[in-house]
Amino acid sequence: MTLAFRQRARRAIADPQLQRLLDQNADARQRARMEALQELPEAGDLRQRARSIRQQVVFGLEAYLELFGSRLADNGVQLRRAADAAEANRLILEIVRSHKANLVAKSKSMLTEELGVNAALEAAGVRAIETDLGEYIVQLRGEKPAHIMTPALHLSTEQVAETFRSQLGAVLSDDAEQINAEVRSRLREVFLTTPVGITGVNFGVAETGTLCLVTNEGNGRMVATLPPVHIAVMGIERLVPTLDDLAVMLQLLPRFATGQSISSYVSLIHGPRRPGDPEGPAERYLVLVDNGRSRVAETAAAEALLCIRCGSCLNACPIFREAGGHAYDSVYSGPIGSVLSPALFGLQKYGHLAQASTLCGACMEACPVGIDIPGLLLDVRARSELKPLERGIRLFSWVAKSPTRFRWAQRAAALGGRLLARRAGWITQLPGPFAEWTRFRDFPQFSTRPLRSRLRKVRRPAADRRPELEPRVETPAAPVETLTPGQRTDQFEARLKDLGGEVIRCAELEAADRIVGQLYVLGASRLLSWGPVEPILFTVLQRLEQEGFPVVLPEVPDGPQRTQSLRDFGEVQVGLTGAVAAFADTGTVVLSGSSRRSLLPSLLPETHLAVVRSKDVYPDLAGWLTAGGSGYVAGTSNLVLISGPSRTADIEMTLTVGVHGPRQLVVFLIE
Amino acid sequence: MRIQLFATCLVDSLFPEVGEAVVEVLTRAGVETWFPPGQTCCGQPALNAGSRAEARRLALHTLEALAAEDVVVVPSGSCSQMIRHHYPELLADQPEELERARRLADRTFEFSEFLVDQLLVADLEASLPLVIGYHPSCHLLRGLGVDRQPLRLLEGIDGASIERLSPECCGFGGLFSVEMPEISREMLERTLERIRNSGVELVAGCDVSCLMQIEGGLRRTGSPVRCSHLAQLLAGREAGLK
Repeated sequence: MTLAFRQRARRAIADPQLQRLLDQNADARQRARMEALQELPEAGDLRQRARSIRQQVVFGLEAYLELFGSRLADNGVQLRRAADAAEANRLILEIVRSHKANLVAKSKSMLTEELGVNAALEAAGVRAIETDLGEYIVQLRGEKPAHIMTPALHLSTEQVAETFRSQLGAVLSDDAEQINAEVRSRLREVFLTTPVGITGVNFGVAETGTLCLVTNEGNGRMVATLPPVHIAVMGIERLVPTLDDLAVMLQLLPRFATGQSISSYVSLIHGPRRPGDPEGPAERYLVLVDNGRSRVAETAAAEALLCIRCGSCLNACPIFREAGGHAYDSVYSGPIGSVLSPALFGLQKYGHLAQASTLCGACMEACPVGIDIPGLLLDVRARSELKPLERGIRLFSWVAKSPTRFRWAQRAAALGGRLLARRAGWITQLPGPFAEWTRFRDFPQFSTRPLRSRLRKVRRPAADRRPELEPRVETPAAPVETLTPGQRTDQFEARLKDLGGEVIRCAELEAADRIVGQLYVLGASRLLSWGPVEPILFTVLQRLEQEGFPVVLPEVPDGPQRTQSLRDFGEVQVGLTGAVAAFADTGTVVLSGSSRRSLLPSLLPETHLAVVRSKDVYPDLAGWLTAGGSGYVAGTSNLVLISGPSRTADIEMTLTVGVHGPRQLVVFLIE
Repeated sequence: MRIQLFATCLVDSLFPEVGEAVVEVLTRAGVETWFPPGQTCCGQPALNAGSRAEARRLALHTLEALAAEDVVVVPSGSCSQMIRHHYPELLADQPEELERARRLADRTFEFSEFLVDQLLVADLEASLPLVIGYHPSCHLLRGLGVDRQPLRLLEGIDGASIERLSPECCGFGGLFSVEMPEISREMLERTLERIRNSGVELVAGCDVSCLMQIEGGLRRTGSPVRCSHLAQLLAGREAGLK
C-alpha cells in the first residue's frame, strides 16, 4: 500500500507544472497565514481557547447534539440524522424527491464529497451542479478536489480555460477574469432556477441552533437564500457550544485557511423564511451525519475530530508540497487526511498514509486548534499492520538492548564501512536496503573508534549534591488594546479598503445627496433597495421617487413566478441596504434579512451600497455579541457578515472579485 | 556541576567527534561530564516505525542506563524530545516506570538549551570568521521550542556572521529517508537550494541526523559547504561533521 502513495507521489514529482502549482500554494498560503497572525497579537490565547472549545464539544458530543437538535426544532429547521453515508444519501434524495426536483445547486462541502452525494443524486437522475468555482472546474473535468480549500489547486489557468472551451464551448482566453465572468453568468442562471440548494456547514452553534456558513464567492449565500428548499449537510462533530465560541473560531478559520482576517461572507442561519421575510427558502433541512465520527470519538484519534477543515496543515506540509492532494487518494489529504482517512474509512485501506511524514511537526504548528498530528500519525503507525522494515527494527532493538551487542554491531558496521568507503569518511554506495540512501547523498562512515571507546575512562565521579534546575522559560501573552470610537471607525475604514471595499464618510444631512449622487455616478437605471426603515433610506427613497428613478423593493413570491421575479431583481445593477452593525477589526458590515430588509440587494447586483452609522461600529464580532448582539442574532432567520466584495482565488491564487456576489461594495459611513 | 552525557547512537557510532566536542565545551563551561556505559539508542526509530513494544523496551533500557540522578545532556533535539515527551507517553500505563520517566524528562536537556537556559552561558570564546547558516531542526524547534539558545551561542562566536535558515524539514525523517526516497530527495534538494541561495559557508545545527542528510547531499552535489554540530564550532573544530 505504501507503494501506491509512493507511485503517485513519484508521478507528481515528475510533473513540473504540478510542482510549480504546489510550490505556489505552499508559499502564498503560508506567507498569508503568517502575515494574518502577525496582526493578531492574541492569536496564541485564541488558539488555546479554540482548542478547549472544540474539546468540550468532541468529548461531550451527545449532550451538545441533543441541545442543538432541540434548538433547530425551535428554529423550524427540519433535522435528519444519518448514521452513515448510505443513510445520508438516502435522506438527501428523499428530500429532493419530495420536492420533485431534478436539479440541485451545491456550494462547496467536503462532507458531501466524503459521502458521495453527487454520485448518489446522479444515479437517481438528479443533476447536481457544484457552484464553488474550484469545485465547478473539478466537476467539469470529472476529477476529485486536490485540496480541501482549493479544489482546483492542481490546475493552471490555461488548463482551466481549456476546460471551459472544450467542455462548455465557451469563448475565452487564458485569463482568470474572463473565466470568472463566464462562471458568473452560467451559474447565475442555476442559482435563479434551482429548486434545491445543498450546502455544507462550517460550524453549528448548539445553544442557538445556528448554522454558520463561511464563503468568499457568495455561492454559499445564493444556494442558501434563493431556492425554495435548502439542505445543509453537517458532520456531527462540527459544533461549538455558544455564539461567543463561534466568534473565537471565526477569528481563526479564515486566517489559517487563506490568510484573510475574515471571509467575504459569513452567514448565520436560524431557520426557514418567516412570515414577513422578503426571501428565503420555505423549508430548511439539516442532515447531521455521523459516518464513523462517534466511533472515532471513542479512540485515540478523537483529537482529529477537533479539525475545522481549514487546510492549513496541507499548506504547511512538505510532503503535500511534493506529492499533491491526489496522491493520498482520499477526500481528506495532507497531514490531517493521513489521520482522518484511516480513522474514518479504515486502517486497512488508508493506514499507509501515516508513513508519508517525516514527523516534522509543521502541521501541528500550522493547526489553529493545535491538533497533535505527529502524535496521531505515530498512533496510526502503531496500529497499522504495515510495519516497514519491521525485521530490521526488531533486530536493531535487540542489538540496542545490550551495550555489548551494540558495541559488536558498531565494530561490524565499521568494518563493513571500510570496505565500501571511496571517499575519506563518507560512503558513496551502500548495499541492500540502504542503497536508497546513497542514490543521491553520501553516507558517513561508521567510526572505528566510537564515542563509547573514546570515553571509556570517563566514569561517574564521586557523589555530589543534586543540582538545582532553572525553570523552563515561558512567554507571557501580549495585552490587548482597546480602541476609542474614533479609532474604531478609522480602523473599519482602513480594513474595508484593504479588502477592496470603498468607504464614503458623510454627515447625516448630506447622506441622501451622496447616495443619490452615487447612483448617477454608477450609471444606474434602477435600484434594488431596502424599504424606508430608517431616516436616511427614507429620504433617499423619497428623493428617487420625486425624480422618477425606478426603485425595486424585492419580495420573492412563492410558486411559479418565483424564478421570473428573481431574474428581474437580478438585472438591477445597484443594491442599497442599511446595516445592523459593523466591525472595526475586519471591516465587516452586518445585515439581517427581515421585513423590508431584503438580503437580495447585497447579493444579486454588481454593486452593493450600504449605509452604516458610526455609532454601530463595534470593535469586533465578540464585542457586538456581548453588547446585545447575541440575543439579536438568535432571533434572525438569516444574518450575514459582509466583508468586502465577493472574491475567489481558486485559479492559481489569482485574486478576482465579483465571482457570484457583488463586484463592488461601497459603505456610506454616517458620522 | 556534574552531568551525564546521553550521546545518542548516531553520535556514538558515526560522529564520535561531535561527542568529544560536547565534552570539551561542557568542561570549559565548568561542568563535569561522564558517559554512562549502558546507553545505546533512545528507541525513536522503533517508535517511528510503529513498533511501540520495541520502543518501550528501549525506553526502559535507557531509563536504567541513565538511572543516576545527574542531569542528562543530549546533543540532539530529536532524541531529547523522545525522552522528554514520548517516554512518559510510552510508559503511561506502568505507574512506577512512568514516575521514573517523568523524573528523567525533567532533568534531560538538549545541549544548547542546557548551556543557555541552565548554565546561563552565552559566550564560549570560540572564533570562526565564516558566514554560518543555522538549520533549525524540526524536533528541536517544534518539539522542544528551542531556537534562540543555539542562535545565541552561534552569535557568541567571534568573527562569525549568522543566518537562520528557513525552518523547513530537510527530508530526513528517519526511516522515511529510505522508505520514501523520492520525496526525501526533493525535500533535501530544496534545503540544498536554500543553502546555495543564502551564500552561507557552513551549516550549523543541533541534530546530526539532519546534518548527516544535508552534508550527505552537499558532498554528493560537489558543494564545498560542510555541516557542523554546534558543539564542534564552539570547541573550535574545523568545518565538517567528521
